[in-house]
Amino acid sequence: MFIVGFLARRLAQGAVIVFLVSFLIFTLLRVIPGDPVRLMAGGMAPDELIEQIAADMGLRDPIPVQFARYMGGVMRGDLGQSFVRPASGAAVGGAQFDDATRAERARVLSLIAETAPMTVQLALLSMVFALLIATPIGVAGGLYPGRWPDKLALYLGSLFVSLPNFWLGIVLVLLLSVNLRLLPAIGYQGFAWTILPAIVLAIEIAPFLIRTLTVSVAQIMRENFIAAATVRGLGRGRIVVAHALKNAAVPLLNLLGVQFSMLLGGVLVIEFIFDYPGLGLLTINAVLQRDFPLIQGIAIVTSAAFVLINIAVDLAATAIDPRLDY
Amino acid sequence: MTETLLDVRGLSVAARTAEGLRPILTDVSLDLAPRRILGVIGGGGSGKTTLARALVNWLPPALKPTAGEILYRGRDVLKMRPAEARRLRGREIAYVGGDPAGAMDPTMTVGAQLVEKLRAVEPGVSRAEARARAIALLGAVRIPAPELRFHEYPFQYSGGMMQRAMIVDALISNPAFLVADNITQPLDVTVGAQILKLMREVTERFDTAILFVSSSLPTVADVADEVVVLDKGAIVERQPPAALVAAPRHAYTRRLIEELPTLWTPGGGRAAKLHAPGVAPILSVRDVSKTYVAGARSGLGPKRLVQAVRNADFDVYEGENFGVVGESGCGKSSLMRLLTALERPDKGSILFEGKNVFSGKTGDLRALRRRMQLVLQDPYSSLPPQTSIGDIIAEPLVIHGLGNRAQRRVRALEMMGEVGLPKSLYDDLPNGLSAGQRQRVNVARAMILEPRLLLMDETLSALDQTEQSKLLDLFERLQAQHNFTYLFISHDIAMVRRVCARVAVMYLGEVVELANNDRLFFDPGHPYSRALLSAAPTLEERRYRSEDCLLEGEPPSPIDLPPGCAFATRCPSAHDRCRAENPRAYARGHGDRAACFLLEATAASTPARETHDA
Amino acid sequence: MAILDADIPAAADDGARRSIARRIAAGAWASTEFKVGLFVFTALLLAALIYPEVSSLDPTRMNVRGRNTPPVFVGEGWSWAHPLGTDQLGRDMLLRSLVGLRYSLLIGVSTVILMLFVGSIVGLFAGYRGGLTDTVLMRITDAQLSIPMIILAIAILGVSRPTIPAIILVLGLSGWPVYARVMRSVVMAERKKEYVRGARVLGASDGRIMFRLILPLALPPIAFVAVLDVARMMIFESVLGFLGLGVQPPTPTFGNIIADGRKFLINAWWIATLPGVFLFVTLGSLNLMGAALERSRNRVYGGLS
Repeated sequence: MFIVGFLARRLAQGAVIVFLVSFLIFTLLRVIPGDPVRLMAGGMAPDELIEQIAADMGLRDPIPVQFARYMGGVMRGDLGQSFVRPASGAAVGGAQFDDATRAERARVLSLIAETAPMTVQLALLSMVFALLIATPIGVAGGLYPGRWPDKLALYLGSLFVSLPNFWLGIVLVLLLSVNLRLLPAIGYQGFAWTILPAIVLAIEIAPFLIRTLTVSVAQIMRENFIAAATVRGLGRGRIVVAHALKNAAVPLLNLLGVQFSMLLGGVLVIEFIFDYPGLGLLTINAVLQRDFPLIQGIAIVTSAAFVLINIAVDLAATAIDPRLDY
Repeated sequence: MTETLLDVRGLSVAARTAEGLRPILTDVSLDLAPRRILGVIGGGGSGKTTLARALVNWLPPALKPTAGEILYRGRDVLKMRPAEARRLRGREIAYVGGDPAGAMDPTMTVGAQLVEKLRAVEPGVSRAEARARAIALLGAVRIPAPELRFHEYPFQYSGGMMQRAMIVDALISNPAFLVADNITQPLDVTVGAQILKLMREVTERFDTAILFVSSSLPTVADVADEVVVLDKGAIVERQPPAALVAAPRHAYTRRLIEELPTLWTPGGGRAAKLHAPGVAPILSVRDVSKTYVAGARSGLGPKRLVQAVRNADFDVYEGENFGVVGESGCGKSSLMRLLTALERPDKGSILFEGKNVFSGKTGDLRALRRRMQLVLQDPYSSLPPQTSIGDIIAEPLVIHGLGNRAQRRVRALEMMGEVGLPKSLYDDLPNGLSAGQRQRVNVARAMILEPRLLLMDETLSALDQTEQSKLLDLFERLQAQHNFTYLFISHDIAMVRRVCARVAVMYLGEVVELANNDRLFFDPGHPYSRALLSAAPTLEERRYRSEDCLLEGEPPSPIDLPPGCAFATRCPSAHDRCRAENPRAYARGHGDRAACFLLEATAASTPARETHDA
Repeated sequence: MAILDADIPAAADDGARRSIARRIAAGAWASTEFKVGLFVFTALLLAALIYPEVSSLDPTRMNVRGRNTPPVFVGEGWSWAHPLGTDQLGRDMLLRSLVGLRYSLLIGVSTVILMLFVGSIVGLFAGYRGGLTDTVLMRITDAQLSIPMIILAIAILGVSRPTIPAIILVLGLSGWPVYARVMRSVVMAERKKEYVRGARVLGASDGRIMFRLILPLALPPIAFVAVLDVARMMIFESVLGFLGLGVQPPTPTFGNIIADGRKFLINAWWIATLPGVFLFVTLGSLNLMGAALERSRNRVYGGLS
């Protein structure tokens, strides 16, 4: 009963968020300068042709009309068609623009559906790496505040967070892939191509996990019930594992929810550097080609993912700590 | 004493500081026989908590024992190997602290933690057996519906219930010795009285000796077989409680006893200023109710309503000291928010100097705020930490646009002089002030607009007895000078006895009794007033014993109040009618009234309202 | 532990006399990492301010004969004239990095100030007003938070022309939600405190309470830790530059230097990597200071993060 009400409320709120995001992105793309039709048709196309194409595509209608038409499609599960990408193969260059090929342009939804699993694979693997790095360092730092594990957490955290992800990616490619030939890097031909990007991404995420873990473990270790557990006769190991870590998991979960967008931002840059065929690369190409429907589609899908992940995070947090009442 | 369970000999403990070792306890010796309760009394900084923690070998890292031994059944606790100490701790020697709310992991059920603890100290016990023992004990400490409570989380327990659960946690391994460190301090007096009753039973039923540490002499005297007095880290005397109270030997003990407020000494309400006859009420509260919506769990489903104030109705007359007394959750804070016009009542009206406070015009409200001022409860969070003391005091003048900079400074300095603050503090930040000084700043700030009515919201609760007396003297002097009217809101019945001429007693949102000072203390009309008096910390011979005045049980939740009288669940005189129908207030003459059916027979048939004119 | 530690003397009393902001600053100053960070950062800042002014070289002038000079002590042909070597067009790498650092810092600091300003105002109103104001503002915040900031930034900058004010505006406007959330939760806690109730009973207006009482108290702890975000924003700036969406060439920025240098990774590895080392050291110094301030703040607030 409680869970049904919770889900209903949060999904409704989530729908509002996704709607706001759609509106924001849709409007922004249309009010800022830069005409996609000019790019599609090529610089040499005559103005009348461009105006005609734009009018055909409905791009000269008032923005609210365009938005309503677009949202109508979204409601039916149709995110529209890419401006520039054909249904198969590489992007259509502006020079070959031909009205007849319009019908063959790729559907935004299928473009996203093809690339999203690649990104999920990368994100999950990097999360696993990040947790493997951060958990021991962060927990030790929290258990011994002011002592060397704490200093180690501080310095390692500061070190990792100061490494620009694109630069680290280049350096690691140069060292591990080009010079030492340990791991494949550019493009994607199998799971091994995910490892290096995931490591770079993990190093970007890890400092935030380390920081949160150090702070929350240290804070919980100062709680009265931890001190009281000693005098109640519980052993140190049990106190740390069953009580301190369990409580410290809640802020960590919340961090994952809030920093989801940071993770995606990292994915984008990393995919670009490693030429990894995921959602991030798709986004950058969409932006560079001014492919409005694709940018909108990606924004909607990511904000929906954000909403869903945050609901899952809150549910998990409530399961751990029943006091949290979302 | 034939057998000694615990024998402390010449124990000294010191704190490691930058300047070297600073003694906390010096040469403490005491012993405890099985099934006895030894009380330890001492003020803040006396070292009593350190003593309690040393006995369970649980000193914080900054403290270390420097001399002496703690022999438990002949073995020195301090010299045990860590593993041995751990086996003893929690199993044979148990500890209950003064923070029941924070004593258990909030993310696990109470039952799971009781089982966890028992299996940690007695690994052989099966899960099912541990569970059975926990439930049996929860029942034994009179937690209702223990099978259900077993599966609840700590935050679902009230403070008193949680303290009972912690006692179960201590007793579950059948310890021979229990250290109870300030266990009643955070609890309401009537709930604390119930816990004390439980302590006395524990020694009998569980064969346990108790070291009972407290800062309240009446509490210790109530429960202990013998009392040791701890002052500045040393034991100054040891006597049975009756002898200690009758013939204290040490100066510190004598001062402790003298400082205790008295409830039933004739003329105890020396500062209780009654209004002059025939004056008009300055503040009239007419049938006021306020209901809050408690955070509904999902935004769907039924809303949960907290009836914070229910039909409050009383008058405060010009120049008098009026008291509102009640325990936590009685609605006195909500009432205060209504009186200060921070919130609107759902029903009823509040008249100040004959005018409705909520007339609707903001200008009126501003004018009212010049004439009615609030002195806040918590001396620490009530002052903006980044503002200088002078600016804090002068702020009301700025807000109301009175005077220029220089005039405001003069007025603020004048006020500082009146409340006894050194003028040199004018430019200081409040961070370094003592609690008493902070309350003086609060008083000065409230007075600077020359109000008629001062609302004192638990103003003295955070202060020690000596500071309280000083501030009360100050209030008296200011009242004589400026003819203030005071409305005190407090949980401290002894303070009310000293200061308030007329008192409203609140329980779960209702004013259950309204009485003159002497009448309330010598002839209370409501059973809850009697229960409150019976639980009050005093060394005097009690007129009311909590055994007679208070049943086991918790106050009902304000969210789903029972239909009848709210006190019926804990009232020894409750009968069927009390559980079905909420009694109205019955007049008892001289403006006194109380809401209890027992008064129906004796009360005149006049409705309570008419007694406003009495 | 407050109750249990009652017997232990309170820590040095004079500590309590100073304002919270000064206690945080003093606490951070006492740590080695803060001093190290500050020293390195000051040195880099001075270098970035002074060296391009006094140097006879021009960061954009090409010198085809002197191209791909390696940094000092590396390979053959290095010279003290170009301590970090030169790039594929013979431009001095040290000078280009320092000019890049100027833009990076300018954008990083301005962006954080903008983020802090917008976030604080939104959080202050949402937290203090509560109710409908809170709901509306927080939904907008959530919406903003749910679009990865970098996607928003590249979407806007990719479609329009990236100028420095545009970059600051875009990064600042996409980064404020976190501040709004933090500010809101702080304000909600402060609003319940006694001194706010006291001020309201005295008749103080909401504006006075929000801006004169709560804001001065809530802002410094948040602003101190914003140092960490200056570093984060500098990374974002360089990412934008790397993607070609930052400050446009020929103006050197870390991002576009590294992006250009990437093509010559095999022949002249230093072009892409050394500016990165430079950026890394700058970020490291900022992050050390930020971490020290954050820890000091957590200590002052008794372990609250």
